[in-house]
Amino acid sequence: MDGPSPQAAPLPGAPATAGTRQVFLPNEVDPTVFDEAFLRQLERLLLLMRSPVRGGLKGGRRSVKRGQSVEFADYRDYAPGDDLRQLDWNVYARLEKLFVKLFVEEEDVTISLLIDASASMTYGAPSKLLFAKRAAAALGYIGLASEDRVRVAALSGRIARRRAALRGSGRVFRLLSDLSAIEAADGATDLLAAARHAAAQLHGRGVVILLSDLLDPAADRVIRELAATGSELIVLHVLSPDELEPPLEGDLHLLDSETGEGIDVTVDLATLDAYKARLAAWKAGFADTAAKRRATYVDLPSDANLSDLMFAELRRRRVLG
Amino acid sequence: MPFTSPLALLGLLFIPAVLAMYMLKLRRDQAVVPSTLLWSRLLTDVEANAPWQRLRRSLLLLLQLLLVIVIALLAARPFLERPTGLARDIVLILDTSASMAATDVSPTRLDAAKAAAIDALKDLPTGGKVSVIAADRTARIVVNETSDLGRVRQAVNDLQASTMPGDLGDALELASKLAARSGDAQVLVATDAAIATMPTVRVGAPVKVLSVGRDRKNQAIVALAVRTAPSTVTRSVFIGVANLDLEAAQRRIEVWGDGNLLEARDISIDAQARSDVVIDDIPNEIRALEIRLVGQDPTSSVAPDHLAIDDRAWAVIPPDRTRLILVVGEGDPYLETALSYLPNVELYGVTPAEYGPASARKDGRPWDLVIFEAALPTTLPDSPILAIAPPRTSPLGQVDGTLKEPGIGSVDPAEPILRYVDLSTTHIAEAAKLVLPDWARTVIPGPKGAPLLYAGSRSGLPTAVLAFEPRQSDLPLQVAFPILLANLTGELLGGSAAPTEALEPGTPVSLTIPSGATGLTVTRPDGTTTDLVPSASGGAAVTFARTDLLGIYTVTPVLGAGASTAPGATAGASAGPSAGASPLASPGPSSGASATPPPAIDPYAPVHFAVDLFDVGESTIAPGSAAAIEALGTAPGASPAPGAAGTDAPATTRDELWVPLLLIVLVALCVEWAVYHRDAVTRMRRDLAARFGRPSPDRGA
Repeated sequence: MDGPSPQAAPLPGAPATAGTRQVFLPNEVDPTVFDEAFLRQLERLLLLMRSPVRGGLKGGRRSVKRGQSVEFADYRDYAPGDDLRQLDWNVYARLEKLFVKLFVEEEDVTISLLIDASASMTYGAPSKLLFAKRAAAALGYIGLASEDRVRVAALSGRIARRRAALRGSGRVFRLLSDLSAIEAADGATDLLAAARHAAAQLHGRGVVILLSDLLDPAADRVIRELAATGSELIVLHVLSPDELEPPLEGDLHLLDSETGEGIDVTVDLATLDAYKARLAAWKAGFADTAAKRRATYVDLPSDANLSDLMFAELRRRRVLG
Repeated sequence: MPFTSPLALLGLLFIPAVLAMYMLKLRRDQAVVPSTLLWSRLLTDVEANAPWQRLRRSLLLLLQLLLVIVIALLAARPFLERPTGLARDIVLILDTSASMAATDVSPTRLDAAKAAAIDALKDLPTGGKVSVIAADRTARIVVNETSDLGRVRQAVNDLQASTMPGDLGDALELASKLAARSGDAQVLVATDAAIATMPTVRVGAPVKVLSVGRDRKNQAIVALAVRTAPSTVTRSVFIGVANLDLEAAQRRIEVWGDGNLLEARDISIDAQARSDVVIDDIPNEIRALEIRLVGQDPTSSVAPDHLAIDDRAWAVIPPDRTRLILVVGEGDPYLETALSYLPNVELYGVTPAEYGPASARKDGRPWDLVIFEAALPTTLPDSPILAIAPPRTSPLGQVDGTLKEPGIGSVDPAEPILRYVDLSTTHIAEAAKLVLPDWARTVIPGPKGAPLLYAGSRSGLPTAVLAFEPRQSDLPLQVAFPILLANLTGELLGGSAAPTEALEPGTPVSLTIPSGATGLTVTRPDGTTTDLVPSASGGAAVTFARTDLLGIYTVTPVLGAGASTAPGATAGASAGPSAGASPLASPGPSSGASATPPPAIDPYAPVHFAVDLFDVGESTIAPGSAAAIEALGTAPGASPAPGAAGTDAPATTRDELWVPLLLIVLVALCVEWAVYHRDAVTRMRRDLAARFGRPSPDRGA
């Protein structure tokens, strides 16, 4: 794959570093993350799928259809009308039978990036939503570079706000623009309803990547229903460091950022220990659900290094290859 | 359970206050979190599965309630009562005589007696009062009827062993009176009972002796005297040493003169015997002697006996000096006889007609005293004067005629000239009628304000005027006459006469203030000084009573403005700290013919005197009979003295329970601290476990 297209030239006023070509990025995306070297590395990655999928257009991904690629798949008997160029003359010389060589057809798939835009995603340093956007940008770029279709949808309220599907690495700026346009919802978000809405918009099998903090009572059903769509589901569970290690102590009245409801709690070491145990069990429940549905579950802190995430963590989890 | 201060139980009213603090709604800080999803599930878990959490939270409440209760109990001072073996009130006599410094009981008998007394007072009944009497030469009350045992302990611990002989009689008499005032009292006597003569006083209360001491090993210097050798060039020292032990003893006598060791002599003394030692050839210029009774092995660190204070003695050697007295008169045998008996006096006499410039001494030395007997020259000499029956008015005073058979008025008992002088039977036939001049004080008052004897300092010269001739009265026939004459000439001769013989410890001493001096400064053996000033009546002598330390005391006149040392006077020899010389009133031959010309006298030179124990009874440290002392009191359980406010109820003592309560408070505070900071403690334990690589046992609990 070639490098960034001429569209990637810095626009007037865009930050640029001498000797390093940079792409134009939304304000909230750290420009140092998406420098040319990082993009080059991303281009070498491929979103792995557990099984070949049937796509629409001819793409760079193995398909269940036999097609025109160079990768041999099988033989079948010759039938009138077959392309004579596909006959295997060597076999005919040995067996005096006509066989047609079948090759793996390379097709594109649709990668759906479902980003939880609930109010709870705005918390953390950096915020979980920003981290989700960055991760989605990286994964989307990998998809574009793989000639896959990439579609972004923001889950807020009870719906999924879907953007147009993008294809080809030249649409990376549109991808970034779409990501930067995602804003957190003001009110409460029904993650299950929004996920069902997004599932209804899927066409055929593909890859669904859910980036969410899963702070919803029905988060388990969200995973189950998205996995039931036939697409391969990847759940990137993003939690902020403050949620992993709450910096709370004393007698507190905790207010829910989405619902505004409050509860009284006395936070001491025993309470924190119980919280952490509860958190671990909660995440283990998601991982178990995902495993049963042949989905991939990856929990991430929002302060994780994006490079480490892409080149180490996700490759270790067999999400990227 | 009884309480000393039951009103303090009102502190339990704080319990509702503590409960109210917990019942009030807690003001909580608000914190916005992304979602309360996990927290609400957590609370459900905690409330459903961990009742210990609630208990832990209320543990602080329980601890605080416990603290309130225990502190209220503590303030109420609960106690337990138990019967005691002591009477309600205690009169404690603590023997502080010299023998109580004996070291046969470590560290001393007095310290052991203090400990025994304080231990006995632990059983003081409730409400009982304690009086403490220190008994040495006299008895003095150091604590009077107090129930404050802390004050009693402090007073007992502050007592020091004196150097004085003990007299338990006074202390027992005083204790008996204190006990009689109480009605239900007991006398505790902490003593070694080492007393020469058993008191005969009867004590109207039971007497219990806290006996200390167990050994009698002691040798003591019991006599010391210095005399001029017949050669008049050297002196001899007589030393008496008594062995009061039941075994023979070998000791060494060291003679120190003016700070230098002059001679050492080993002696052997039989048991219960006395050895007198004479050491000759003490140089004449030695002014202070110190005798030390030491062990024969000077390198031994073991004390040769148990009482050290009687192993040292001091003596002051006054210089041999003569005083020159000129009597101008027709000759009164009574007067001359009395004057001739004065020590160190050369007496000369001339008739009034012969008196004049020709009567001056050829050696140029002035007369130390001129006595005019019924005569006065036209020009008075510049020397101290005693005028007897002055015939006319002169600078010595106004004469307004004669008095027939004048009576003697009331005399001042503090008048030093009249010390030991009894004039109660004295009759006077005729006396000059004198008018008291402004420079003099009346010594013997006469009728209508006319003094019969007055004395004072006239222009810096000691002067006295006697209104009658001795032979015109029966005074010369009385023993008071030589004493009066000795006192009078002593003051007129101008010396600050100090005692020449060693004093007993605690004995008051009369010190004469020389003419021209405004007072005296007495330096004690320990270096402390005491300033003495004349009494308001203008007497020329003052009394010094702080002679409780053994050693040499130095008396230094304090010079007033205008007074100065006499020309040519020799300052007091001071070869050592205890050295010195008394220029006046030194004992010796009445008219000793000194081989060397007598030096001039400096009336302002320091004088010295010594204080020595010299008490065989006190040096006998053998513990006496406690039963004999206890027999002086009434039998235990006897009825109190008639009229005393006795009580039939058995005496009890209280054991306050503040110690266990205080421990409970401390433990409760520690537990409360641990509960309140349990998170910090757990974190610290986890950090330590992590640092040393061991998994915390409660991690993830």
